[in-house]
Amino acid sequence: MAEREYLVALWIRIWHWTNAALIVTLGVTGLSVHFADPALPLVNFALAVRIHNTAGVLLIGAYLFFVIANIVTGNWWQFVPKPPGILQRIIKQAMWYGIGVFRGEPHPHEPSKEEHFNALQAVTYWSVMYLLLPVILVSGLIYLYPEFAPDTLFGFDGLLPVALTHYLAAVALLLFLLSHIYLGTTGKTVGQMFKMMITGWHEH
Amino acid sequence: MPLSFVRNFAAFGWLMLAAAIAPAVMAQERPLTPEQQQKQRAANAECFSCHSAEGLKAPPKEGLDLRKLRGLLQHPETFYQSDHQKLLCTKCHNEGYDEHPHAADARESTSTCTDCHSKKATLIEAQFEKSVHAELADKITCPTCHNPHLMRIADKQSDPARIVAQDNRVCLGCHDSDEQFAKFAPEKKTRPPIDDIHAWLPNTRLHWKAVRCVECHTPEVAAGEMLSHQILAKDKAEKDCLTCHSASSALKTRLYRHLVKEEQQRLGFANSVILATSYVPGATRHPLLDTLVLGAFAAMLLGLLAHGLGRFLTRGRRSKEAQQHDADDGKNGEHHG
Repeated sequence: MAEREYLVALWIRIWHWTNAALIVTLGVTGLSVHFADPALPLVNFALAVRIHNTAGVLLIGAYLFFVIANIVTGNWWQFVPKPPGILQRIIKQAMWYGIGVFRGEPHPHEPSKEEHFNALQAVTYWSVMYLLLPVILVSGLIYLYPEFAPDTLFGFDGLLPVALTHYLAAVALLLFLLSHIYLGTTGKTVGQMFKMMITGWHEH
Repeated sequence: MPLSFVRNFAAFGWLMLAAAIAPAVMAQERPLTPEQQQKQRAANAECFSCHSAEGLKAPPKEGLDLRKLRGLLQHPETFYQSDHQKLLCTKCHNEGYDEHPHAADARESTSTCTDCHSKKATLIEAQFEKSVHAELADKITCPTCHNPHLMRIADKQSDPARIVAQDNRVCLGCHDSDEQFAKFAPEKKTRPPIDDIHAWLPNTRLHWKAVRCVECHTPEVAAGEMLSHQILAKDKAEKDCLTCHSASSALKTRLYRHLVKEEQQRLGFANSVILATSYVPGATRHPLLDTLVLGAFAAMLLGLLAHGLGRFLTRGRRSKEAQQHDADDGKNGEHHG
């Protein structure tokens, strides 16, 4: 087995870090707007709104690039967990995060050109990228053009369900982001996976 | 005796009666009895028979100056929803209006706002003197902004969107029209484009549909007091978004001041009375949901911290296992090699 293997294409790395920077920006400004309070020193409201709107539109662009590039390069296949034994492998991976990692057991899955992600990663990433993110982007787009939201709904402003969906889906994404960053430290060394996402090379 | 004279005489008699009882009626906000209303509308119908779109289309009299009449039209339906809906036209358009053609100086004897609203006017004048409009006092009077045939006071309206539309039409009527602006502005003063000077305000036009210009362009007043007539220039106007976009939103003491007593925290939302018409980020929050969200973040961070700590504490075991694993790999390699 080679010492190191080139796994992550340049376009994926550029997209990944652009996506990451935009989501962190949107998270900080979004929380600043949602929890706006004179007693809380967050990002200035008007500035936060402007940054959030701009970064949001950029994120839509980044997402479209992601979807198209995935189709063109065939990379979308990486996100599909492969049978047989998907559930067993997901459980095995979760058990490793919960127990095995403390016992020093080896990683249950070794990334390869054919299979970048373990089964749990594939299922989670697929759900985040193809379910959660579209919900955030579409609700955000309606939020940006509220004339497309219903005028009223159940005696409230029709923007309420859009805003709530956007808020809760964004919270779910930020919770994922925290766990994603943390689990990024569970490689052979703390920095191994971060290095791979920068250089593209996986060190075995 | 001509019929119109009898009608006018009756109208005059009714006017006198109305003038006598009007203060009492207004003070108690008692609606007109059906009989009173019928009489009032019948008398006003005389005026609207010319001074309305219908009157212009089919003038009841020959020889009218239709071009002049075109500029003197009213909308009866709107008038009967306005603050002055219970009044006779002749309450204000009194001397010289009994007959047609009206007396040449009839216009000069039309009542002014202060004839009835003297107490309010004193208070307003003091505020107006400090207003950005004070230097235009010779051109701007009450009806410049408050059309007595149209306006409905905010606390008599239940739909904030209508209050906003009515009031902002007044400001934007001049500040969004070069032609109107030039009528009042000092010479050489050109109208600054309204969108440009509000460029700092995100979703500018959306704000103008949802809140009044005066929410930001008047000084703060106590909850029970009338909104000030001291219009503030841009350097003194409210520019802090959090004044409205926070849990303690000033909208409660401004646009929604008359509705805030209906606040019931519907479905647990703070400021649900505002939420009925506008989702205002920062203000129309759900405190319980926000607590759950913050709790989820805290739980996630604590969980990750505990996991990390666990890994740190078991690092010795891990490196031992890894060495063992590497050694195994090495052996296997030799074996396979």
